[in-house]
Amino acid sequence: MTEVQAAQRAAAFEARIAAGEKIEAGDWMPDEYRRQLIRMIGQHAHSEYVGMLPEGAWIDAAPTLRRKLILVAKVQDEAGHGQYLYHAAETLGATRAEMLDALLEGRAKYSSVFNYPTLTWADVGMIGWLVDGAAIKNQLMLAQCSYGPYSRAMVRICAEETFHHLQGREMILTYASGTPHQRAMAQDALDRWWWPALMMLGPHDADSPNSPQLKAWRVKTKSNDEVRQEFLDEHAPELLAAGLTIPDDDLRFDEETRHWRHGSIDWAEFWRVVKGDGPCNAERLAARRAAHDDGRWVREALAAHAARASQRASE
Amino acid sequence: MTLAPELSAALVERLTAFADDELVLGHHQAGWTGHAPLLEEDIAIANVAQDEIGHAVAWLELRAALDGSDPDRLVFFRAASDYRSAWLSEQPRGDWAFTMLRQYLFDAYEAELLARLSASSYRPLADTAAKVAREELFHLRHSRLWVERLAHGTDESRDRLVSAVAVAWPLMAQLLAPLPQDAALEAAGITYSSRDLEESVVAATSAELVRHGFALPPFAPVPAGDPRALRTEHLAPTLLVMQSVARSDADAQAW
Amino acid sequence: MTVDGQLPRWEVFKQDASSKAHAAVGSVHAADAEHALLMARSVFARRPSAVSLWLAPRWAVHEFTREQLAEALATPGTQLAAPMRYRVFIKSSDRRSMAAYEHRGEVVASGTSAALRAATPDELPLGMWLVEDAAVIASAPADAEAWFAPASDKRYKQQSEYAVSVKRHPATREGT
Repeated sequence: MTEVQAAQRAAAFEARIAAGEKIEAGDWMPDEYRRQLIRMIGQHAHSEYVGMLPEGAWIDAAPTLRRKLILVAKVQDEAGHGQYLYHAAETLGATRAEMLDALLEGRAKYSSVFNYPTLTWADVGMIGWLVDGAAIKNQLMLAQCSYGPYSRAMVRICAEETFHHLQGREMILTYASGTPHQRAMAQDALDRWWWPALMMLGPHDADSPNSPQLKAWRVKTKSNDEVRQEFLDEHAPELLAAGLTIPDDDLRFDEETRHWRHGSIDWAEFWRVVKGDGPCNAERLAARRAAHDDGRWVREALAAHAARASQRASE
Repeated sequence: MTLAPELSAALVERLTAFADDELVLGHHQAGWTGHAPLLEEDIAIANVAQDEIGHAVAWLELRAALDGSDPDRLVFFRAASDYRSAWLSEQPRGDWAFTMLRQYLFDAYEAELLARLSASSYRPLADTAAKVAREELFHLRHSRLWVERLAHGTDESRDRLVSAVAVAWPLMAQLLAPLPQDAALEAAGITYSSRDLEESVVAATSAELVRHGFALPPFAPVPAGDPRALRTEHLAPTLLVMQSVARSDADAQAW
Repeated sequence: MTVDGQLPRWEVFKQDASSKAHAAVGSVHAADAEHALLMARSVFARRPSAVSLWLAPRWAVHEFTREQLAEALATPGTQLAAPMRYRVFIKSSDRRSMAAYEHRGEVVASGTSAALRAATPDELPLGMWLVEDAAVIASAPADAEAWFAPASDKRYKQQSEYAVSVKRHPATREGT
């Protein structure tokens, strides 16, 4: 292909994006578009997969039959969402085996919010309300993504994620107006999850090098700070109305702009946790590796059985 | 249909045993969520777990209609000694071979059990059994698939199944043994002939396992009188975790 | 040959209701057809609604973008010895949705190019998939009651169960 042809290709691609068309797996796309999407979708998939662990740990101790069912269903959804996202990445040429290898060897990133421990039952509720609340804002935005398979996975995920958010909010509202023990547990959970949830929406726009290109390709249609503002405006007043205290002395409602303002985020901690030095990073990966290693004999048995069956079929 | 007091009491005992089996089994299955050998199986086993726990709820709600009990209080505030679960359900989840083999045995048992309960003279029981049976169909297909894949996979998968059979099969007799009050329920047409059920389940499951080439160990002796009088040593530690949050705040009105 | 973690992939097509067409919803990794079918039900039918699932191994799914369709229609393509039946899925819109490729019908042709010519409507669709009919595995209609109906009973995972009204904080009162 000549340089002129290559430039025409790229321009045609940009025009399709601008026209709001969805790019599909077989379409021509710039290498960088493909690479960025595989990176983003992979990280998103890994976040769901690792995200099963902090809440999954509480299934055994869920205090009512209904809460137990809800939590199993929620963690199941996280597996399902990881499943849809690995599929979306596979349409771009990645393989699940490669992606899992990268995760288990510590080469792949996932949302740092899952590197915090779940210390009490109320954490399950707070994760549902805040972490899934933040995720939904992000996912609604990504549902408009220019890449068809990712956008469709996001629409499916959004439909299922709302239940996560609402059941979490229901839990915390119950505890915030419950016994002194329950109220204290809810407040303690908020104290520990507020800042991780805010940080989950990513670094400030000025510190996000990928964002401008992703916006131009309509992979991301809003900036991190825009999404963070949406999250804050929705959740701050509801938490306060529940009688909880948000651990931010600088949090205030700006009468002029009609937006909530938060205090400054400790990005040093964010980067420490992203780079692998958070409270549970090692534990999360170890758990994932153990599950993978423990399951190897099962996968080998499936493969051996299938090989034998196809050998019989060809005889 | 209102039941005579002795029949009502007998049915409460029976339903509690069904519920405890499902609950403890479902609790163990749920423990796989996030740790299954395949991502797709994480999703599948989470569904099995939800179904089993849902069945426990259904049996406990039938009991509640008879004696006004509260399902959550029964599950989260009964001591292990007051549970009526079968030894087979109390075994810890083990490896994937044990989990799937135990699931298969339960699913095959429930297929026979629910078919008979769907003909109960006590309408609420028949209706619940029909609903539960619907979900169990998929469970049986899934667990049978795994028994077959692991039996004819690798040497390792087969060896692990052999170990699973060695632990699980002997416990079948106790699972199938009638409770002292069952005779009255059978006579009233509320439940089935337990001898008939036992024969059908043993025939079906032993035929399947023998077909896959497994030698079946003898049954463990079943306690005389009340076969479910004693728990295994596994239940108390299981309940310690299961009940920990609920018991941490006995004043809580809602969770 | 399968390597650990590299089980074959199967495309999954779900029919939401008997009045609707099957649509591509994703894929599952499984070692064999029966396992794939059970996994597809677990992954894609854990919530309502579904009445039927079709699966096909990846090698039996031939994908064409609009551009590739135009190119393929212009070439004669390789001829197969015997005609093959294909199930045709078409993408007709870029609107926001969970599924884009929907079943439109079947063609019998001696190769994918011939199949495309037979299947393509006068106006080029946005995309088309041809799935080799012989490779498709399907859920049994008799299983629909057991496999798909129970999902409606699990209301605790439906967002409609959670209509929680939330108090408004004074700072965001209506009218100010």
